[in-house]
Amino acid sequence: MSKGLDKGMYLELGIATVLFVINLILTLTFPYFTIHKAYYDSRAYITVLVAAFVIYVLYLFHSRKKSASDVAVVLFGFFILWEVSYKLGWVHNDLLIPSPEGLFHVYLEKTPEILSDVWGSLQLLFWGFLLAAVFGTLLGLLAGWIPRVREVLLPISNVITLIPPLMFSAYLIMIFTTFRQAAIAVIFFAVFWPTFQGTVARVGMIDKQIIEAARTMGVGTFGMLAKVIFPYCLPGIIGSISKSLRGAFMCLSGAEMLGINLGIGYFIEKYKSFADYRCVLAGILTVGLITTLIDLAVNKLQKILVKWEY
Amino acid sequence: MSEAAGKDLTGRPYKIEIQDVSFDYVDRRTCFTALQHINLNIREGEFICILGSSGCGKSTLLSLLSGLNRAKEGRILVNGEEIKGPGIDRAVVFQQYSLFPWQTVKENVLFGIKQSGKKYSRKEREELALQYVESVGLLNAKDRYPSQLSGGMKQRVAVARALALQSDVLLLDEPFGAIDPKLRLELQELVSKLCVEHKKTVVFITHDIDEAILLGDRIVVMEPGRIRTILKVRLDHPRVREELIRTAEYEKLHRQLIAAFYDQVEENIDTEVAL
Repeated sequence: MSKGLDKGMYLELGIATVLFVINLILTLTFPYFTIHKAYYDSRAYITVLVAAFVIYVLYLFHSRKKSASDVAVVLFGFFILWEVSYKLGWVHNDLLIPSPEGLFHVYLEKTPEILSDVWGSLQLLFWGFLLAAVFGTLLGLLAGWIPRVREVLLPISNVITLIPPLMFSAYLIMIFTTFRQAAIAVIFFAVFWPTFQGTVARVGMIDKQIIEAARTMGVGTFGMLAKVIFPYCLPGIIGSISKSLRGAFMCLSGAEMLGINLGIGYFIEKYKSFADYRCVLAGILTVGLITTLIDLAVNKLQKILVKWEY
Repeated sequence: MSEAAGKDLTGRPYKIEIQDVSFDYVDRRTCFTALQHINLNIREGEFICILGSSGCGKSTLLSLLSGLNRAKEGRILVNGEEIKGPGIDRAVVFQQYSLFPWQTVKENVLFGIKQSGKKYSRKEREELALQYVESVGLLNAKDRYPSQLSGGMKQRVAVARALALQSDVLLLDEPFGAIDPKLRLELQELVSKLCVEHKKTVVFITHDIDEAILLGDRIVVMEPGRIRTILKVRLDHPRVREELIRTAEYEKLHRQLIAAFYDQVEENIDTEVAL
């Protein structure tokens, strides 16, 4: 932070800060002009605002990107609009559209429930995803390298990947004895075949000269898979992880909505049937937050494991 | 399958014998004959340059020598044994670097050492790898990845990796074709020096007449599918280019090669087929 910012960037930082302060003033002092059924305390909302502001300032000084200020201005502007329109009574249905205070207050009210649901989802995701990624990659490498294996498996996978995984998840839920197993199976099937196909395609694109060089150095079939093809494909494999994780999360939420009584998808489904849309929105927001965090983690992992492409 | 290797006039066995080798590329509709009845014997420690324009089959010949392709007719013997596929007794340097992008310079060379099949401790391997990296002048860049190297540096690594395999035979397929002329000269001198140092038997594919004269003990000139002529280079190693180009031998070879290369009829080309 020693170098400081450009003049224009200080101006933008100032605008974002003013908007942030307006947000704080609005939530603390601006009165309600209509009679709303529920008034929530604004601790959670203020925490979110402050956290957003701190992250923005840190990111701005770290990256020196002008777009950081733009995003902050849009975000705080949106919050102001939301707050004002709510308190002035432009929003009539506070059941469907909660106030910002009300929305974030869910996280204070239902902290243990949300945490355990998130933890449950992550566990299901972890196992389903790990199994699918490992087996999908192994089988994909094998099929990519050995034509006879490929010619058997690729047509099968072409048919299966055309069926949306949620279609057979209703069936999977029936055949597995516990919801946990069923959910893991749904994720597995959602991730396995795309991973397999992606790996086969990637092995097909491998530079022929590299294979030939390895062959002239006496590398055999299985040595080729382990020592040459796998490391060659690794950047692509990790790159596809974040994409398939997104798919996995979608299927997980779907599976949870279909009847598994655990996880953040179940949380959303439950409060939907209670018509508590404040909690539904909070659940949706949580899913977005978690997916983003996982994405960031995968990117970090890629930078650590795939040093040669950076 | 071991059999007696053919011998040269002094009674020493040949290192490589190419016996009546033919090869054609066949696909569904066409059949392209790349090589017809090639015969060539190469002695141990010899540096053979195969010179020809593109499409004359010189790279095909090298792919047969490396074992990546099998001859349709005839056979190739190395140390008196017919080759059946790629093997660690023949190291190859390709035109397109073909380094492993996920390994650093040192790791690429280490890969060659590990594949050589010789028993080394971990420490010996590391030291040996550094020696090879140093011998091609890349000690400063030993921890860089191929994507961070220039074309010339990549080809140096490829040479070091091929040496690390510690084979008697080194095959190079237009290794410096994609490198700019000034760097190419440095690399040619380096390869020449290293091959003498490590007593390699070398087959070097090129389309550059000067390169062939600078490096080769014999120059095999090819025309499509066949060997046109073989010329002996009577110049001592190590050869320095500036001195080389002033010699009468260079003048004569250059003239003969141009004539052979560009398919002009010239008398008294002293042909030495299968010396």
